Amino acid sequence: VSLRQDLRTVSRGWRWGRTPLVPASAQAHRPALEAREFPTTWARSPAAVAVRTAVQRVGLAPLVRSQVAVRTTGTEVLRDLRGPVVFVANHSSHLDAPLILTTLPERWRRQVAVAAASDYFFDTWARGIGSTMAFSTFPMERRGGGASGTTLATDLLLEGWSVLVFPEGTRSSDGWAGEFRRGAALLAMAGRVPVVPIAIRGSFPAMPRGRGWPVPGRPPVRVRYGQPIRPAADEDAAGFTARIAVEVGRLGDEDATDWYASMRRSVEGTGPLTAAPEGARWRRVWAATEPPAVTRGAARRSPWAGWSDSAQR
Amino acid sequence: VTRPGFVLQVDERTPPLLVHEGERMRLETFPLGTRVIYPPESLPGLPDVDGAIRHALLNPLGSDPLPELLFRGMRLTIAFDDISLPLPQMQTPDVRQRIVEAVLTMAAEAGVDDVQLVAANALHRRMTPAELRRCLGERVFRSFYPDALTNHDAEDRDNLLHLGTTDHGEDVEINRRAAESDLLIYVNINIVAMDGGHKSVPIGLASYKSLRHHHNVHTMLHSKSYMDPPKSALHGSAARMGEVVKEHVKIFHIETTLNNDAFPSQYRFMMKREWEWSTRDQATMLAVKRGLDIAPAKVRSRLFRSMEAPYGVTSVQAGATDPVHALTLENVHRQQLVEVDGQSDVLVVGVPYVGPYNVNSTLNPILAMCLGMGYFFNMYRNKPLVRPGGAMILYHPVPWEFSQLHHPSYVDFFEEVLSESTDPATIEAKFEQQYATDPWYVHLYRTSYAYHGVHPFYMWYWGAHAMEHLGDVIWVGADRRTVGRMGFRAASTLQDALEMAGGTVGRSPSITYLHSPPFAIADVR
Repeated sequence: VSLRQDLRTVSRGWRWGRTPLVPASAQAHRPALEAREFPTTWARSPAAVAVRTAVQRVGLAPLVRSQVAVRTTGTEVLRDLRGPVVFVANHSSHLDAPLILTTLPERWRRQVAVAAASDYFFDTWARGIGSTMAFSTFPMERRGGGASGTTLATDLLLEGWSVLVFPEGTRSSDGWAGEFRRGAALLAMAGRVPVVPIAIRGSFPAMPRGRGWPVPGRPPVRVRYGQPIRPAADEDAAGFTARIAVEVGRLGDEDATDWYASMRRSVEGTGPLTAAPEGARWRRVWAATEPPAVTRGAARRSPWAGWSDSAQR
Repeated sequence: VTRPGFVLQVDERTPPLLVHEGERMRLETFPLGTRVIYPPESLPGLPDVDGAIRHALLNPLGSDPLPELLFRGMRLTIAFDDISLPLPQMQTPDVRQRIVEAVLTMAAEAGVDDVQLVAANALHRRMTPAELRRCLGERVFRSFYPDALTNHDAEDRDNLLHLGTTDHGEDVEINRRAAESDLLIYVNINIVAMDGGHKSVPIGLASYKSLRHHHNVHTMLHSKSYMDPPKSALHGSAARMGEVVKEHVKIFHIETTLNNDAFPSQYRFMMKREWEWSTRDQATMLAVKRGLDIAPAKVRSRLFRSMEAPYGVTSVQAGATDPVHALTLENVHRQQLVEVDGQSDVLVVGVPYVGPYNVNSTLNPILAMCLGMGYFFNMYRNKPLVRPGGAMILYHPVPWEFSQLHHPSYVDFFEEVLSESTDPATIEAKFEQQYATDPWYVHLYRTSYAYHGVHPFYMWYWGAHAMEHLGDVIWVGADRRTVGRMGFRAASTLQDALEMAGGTVGRSPSITYLHSPPFAIADVR
């Protein structure tokens, strides 16, 4: 048996460059997850930031724009905002993080770290280093309990870095927002920083779960930034989380309809992101994959749209 | 936390699995659905072994504390397990050294002058001075060698004592010095459930006259298995002999169990479950495998012989033989027992480079058979891993190689006896006496480092249960001439072997792979 054959056996058997698999019958016998620290400090050094900025500007942004038709709204809310924030967005595609990173204004983009699932993005060194370098990710446990991830995120806020969190903990399987976990709210409360809600529409039909590249045809995608929200004095994490979820859903609705309609529907709890159709899964997927290009009510536009260049690109 | 052993079902997600084959290893892709038995992960070793030894000696089971058994002017004999244990040899200090030093410290305090240390090698080869030194440490070696530190000589008529017969008419003849001592201390290492208990003194210090009562085909066919003492005729006979010995000499038994750390840390991958191999494990495996594939035989042997296991000691118990051994077996099972649901048509094992009888030597064809079809086949409780009439597939190159120094009678056994018959009972009836009493073999056993003339017969009997039980035995990657001489068949790959076994077990047999070493005992339900 030659070295080449051995190498082939091992590289195939152990899926080099891909997530290693555990045999089904061994699932119950997996070792207790040990807290594996993946160092990411290096990725926030000035040199790494400079490299990443360049990569995002000349590589990532043109690539994203070439594959999907992005329309960004509401970035003006960040213009007068100072200090770090927690960005919170709905999550239905691997496109989401690149979409936000390429639509954020430069000043914010340079200092934002993305909370990424430690079991997915940091399962191999190659993947961990790659995602950390390109997107400034840091590992966080999906189901909470990973104290180190939360501590790291709080430290980042204290150091002036904003943090992007997808509080659903995973990509949506049908295009509709799942339940928001409390991590983002807890983080904002711990760091005493506001939450900036972001709604993303169209990324699910553009590149749903299971696809490694956007569908052809440059599908339309919308990214809408909302007004920063802060926890009320007597509000707990659960209440704040619910409010964030409603606001993200309302933003998506505003994108589909208009500001006032979204406000009305939000009060009634019938926003599009959160109120998925009842019944079979295919109906939810069907509704979620409806392209976001719809007519907008001309009469009641967002009050913020008036004084900014809300329709970029 | 140590994870228990478990049975894997090979599926599409299972990477190739490691299989030992002598001084090499291979990655084998098993058919989907194959059951793979993994031993429990290595238990943590005792943090303070010396403290545990002292505690065991001062708080023995069914006996007075050791210091109370020692007195000025007594005859004290300390017997210990020989080079056949553990496998591979453990990193120094060997646990036998630690125990013997603790015992001797107490003996010195009690003012004991007449101390004799004897390796309980029965009909195994003598241990060399270097091996004795390694086993017991420099202090003990310097103090007692050569006069008071010796190998047991089962052919020294002057130093054997016939103690009587059991109620089954079995002769009990053991080392005279041990039998006539005021106290006989036995220091054991229990690596598998077969070892220890009454197997130590009545077998380890016995002569051929005594051994032939249980080291025979009939007993081996009624030891199902000999790794399960309550169901082993071998152990039943040893226990009866133990009763006779007990009437003549007071025995203080010290038994130890080890964990599964059978390989040095740089070869850690051999003890890990394959899908949990880190990049480093994969790289080490590739490097080791490639290295072994291209290395000259001598280099390979040297590499393996230099391997020392960082075994941790999981328990030390001392006192009367029976209560001590019951606790020892519990501790062995804690480390090795895996529950398995039912038998399968085919049992697959990889035969590694070392067995009990070829430490610092060559694993000749008979020993390879003994290790695979004796030891591994018998690693079960209740019923064998393979159904009656099933097939066994073993991996080993089985070269036509013998150590003339260690295994002279094996050469003749292979050439002369096996060419006439491979049936254990026929061989026993026709050839055993001749080999057991051959003066040249006796001479080599006593003065050189040769196994006794009858030893290859015992190895063959060790496989008798498997030979009777199995319908087909196929060796993957083996020398056709060698396995043909032993009455088996050779295949170049697992697929070929399964195809060859098709006549016995059908086209889609159920397969079980015993992933060993480290050792696992299958509790087959």
